[in-house]
Amino acid sequence: MNEELMLKLRNLKVIFPNAMGIVKAVEGIDLDIHKGECVALVGESGCGKSVTSLAVMKLLNTPPALISVDEQVIDGVELKDYSNKKMQSVRGKDISLIFQDAMSALNPVMTVGKQIQEVFMTQPGMTKALAKEKSIEALELVGIPEPQRRYNDFPHQLSGGMRQRVLIAMAFACQPKLIIADEPTTALDVTVQAQVLEVLSKMQRSNNTSLLLITHDLSVVANMADTIYVMYCGKIVEQSPAYELFKKPYHPYTKGLLGAIPKLSDERHVFIQIPDSVPNPMNKPKGCYFHPRCPHATEQCRQSMPPLREISKGRKVRCFHCMEECEK
Amino acid sequence: MKLSYVLQRIVLTIFIFAVVMTLNFFIPRLGVEDPAERYYPPQGNMSDVEYNIIKQYTREQYDLNGSTWEQYVKYVAKLMKGDLGNSFKSGSPKVSDLIAERIPWTLVLSVSTMLVGLIFGLLFGAFAAWKRGRWPDLLLLNASTFTTALPSFFIALILTLVLGFELEWFPAYTDSNMVATFDWSWDAIANVAYNAALPVMSTAFGSIVGYAQTTRNSVISVSNEDFILTARSKGLSNSKVLYKHTLRNALLPIVTSFGMSVSGLIGGSTVIEKIFNWNGMGTLFLEANNTNDYPLMMGIMLFMSAFALVANLVTDLCYSLLDPRVTVGGERR
Repeated sequence: MNEELMLKLRNLKVIFPNAMGIVKAVEGIDLDIHKGECVALVGESGCGKSVTSLAVMKLLNTPPALISVDEQVIDGVELKDYSNKKMQSVRGKDISLIFQDAMSALNPVMTVGKQIQEVFMTQPGMTKALAKEKSIEALELVGIPEPQRRYNDFPHQLSGGMRQRVLIAMAFACQPKLIIADEPTTALDVTVQAQVLEVLSKMQRSNNTSLLLITHDLSVVANMADTIYVMYCGKIVEQSPAYELFKKPYHPYTKGLLGAIPKLSDERHVFIQIPDSVPNPMNKPKGCYFHPRCPHATEQCRQSMPPLREISKGRKVRCFHCMEECEK
Repeated sequence: MKLSYVLQRIVLTIFIFAVVMTLNFFIPRLGVEDPAERYYPPQGNMSDVEYNIIKQYTREQYDLNGSTWEQYVKYVAKLMKGDLGNSFKSGSPKVSDLIAERIPWTLVLSVSTMLVGLIFGLLFGAFAAWKRGRWPDLLLLNASTFTTALPSFFIALILTLVLGFELEWFPAYTDSNMVATFDWSWDAIANVAYNAALPVMSTAFGSIVGYAQTTRNSVISVSNEDFILTARSKGLSNSKVLYKHTLRNALLPIVTSFGMSVSGLIGGSTVIEKIFNWNGMGTLFLEANNTNDYPLMMGIMLFMSAFALVANLVTDLCYSLLDPRVTVGGERR
């Protein structure tokens, strides 16, 4: 990993106005991804992770979504003002996306081979025969047996793990600089999850691609991520190198997430639960968004939103109380 | 498409046809009346002996003698040879000839209605989906309320009144010489089109709105699918996404409703044909019904069922060509 930035995102905001009010899905997040780095964006369902990924790809429909961003630089190119038409030359080539549910993310009436081939065909001067050859190669790279035969299969003829591999093959097809994987393993069972993650991680390392891994499951990213961003209600609440986060989480929400992972060594089988559920995005609490569920909440938390403060190199936390904890 | 799938569908279709044929034979015979009496009502000046002889003769002529079972066997045997029997009409014309005579004229109306409906419906539906929530979409929504509430014969009456009698743009009644003088010349074809204008318009409204509604809903639901997002994330152009991903999938329900309307093509609309005095299958069936012409009624119903069965078979087969997920027995290639 070097220090050059692949993605620099500053103050991304996404709002969905509707008849009932305004849903602030993403409230000004900053994201840095270096070349070859794997960054994980972790949070509960509905915290704005997927919206963030779609906003980076500029795939959100506007309207209904309203998006504002101060800087959106990918590999030194400012994409902030790119039109949909201009984005077409960026998608697939510079950034690509791996979706959560491979069954619905693949066109049911087109063979998987054709669907991969389409990505190659967007390159100038590509012939059909060459694109087909490359597609079969791509299927082989993600570990699909008999790629020649599988090329002609329709998505419903493949297993869940194989479909996810097809999506990975598709995303890596044109060797993009950045890949966003939106919960790539959620729809799979645990053993297949591990295989798919291994393929993803292998592909990322061999292509030296930057990877933004979006998940609600911290255990998924434990072995893969270099940096972890924890998101809650559209805001980043903690940002940390992966190792340090697992060693010592600061934000009470992160602690809660880590407490929810079962450990083999833990013989008591007691999980720490975060009480209550995610607040309604139309009606977020005043002050710190996490205070109604936080065991350490004080009057200050109820009144004002804590800033995202840097507490050591590369570590930022949005909490009034962790400073005291750090100093201890 | 696998051969076994095709064969299975064909065998099923033949089986359904046999059931329909049997029902078709027995239902008229459930009536208490003697068909022969219907054909030849008792006359005042006739003795019972004479009348019985006449009835016996009629029964023999129309295969109505013998037990019901014997009649059934005879009916099936004749049917296998393609003989639908003879009508009660004077001169005992063959039922198949009567149907053959009327079918082209019914098809003129129904096929043009279907094509007009399909073409305008697809265009309008796609447009409404594209302008979703704005005026073309709202117009379609309101139009569908209208066409559902207004039966086609009401629209037909309004059109006759306004375009036929007031403005005199199109004939309010079909030219009675149209069929007799038809000779495939351009003039004759133009005359048919001129006469068909109002009946087609009366039914096309509902057809257009129906297809438009299906298309609109289908396009909108497909464009919300994840795989459309995947296609866009691959960097495909908007037109590629539309033609290769959205439309191909959106077409599936439209094929179904198209196939279902194909099966209704030859039935003819009795009411519309009656209003415009158009001699098609609808009026033929009405005549048969009014004169208790059993063989003709049975023939028309059987022919219509057979046509619907074949149309459904073809639709199913087309569907499995369009959608690879449709197979039999969940078998994988």
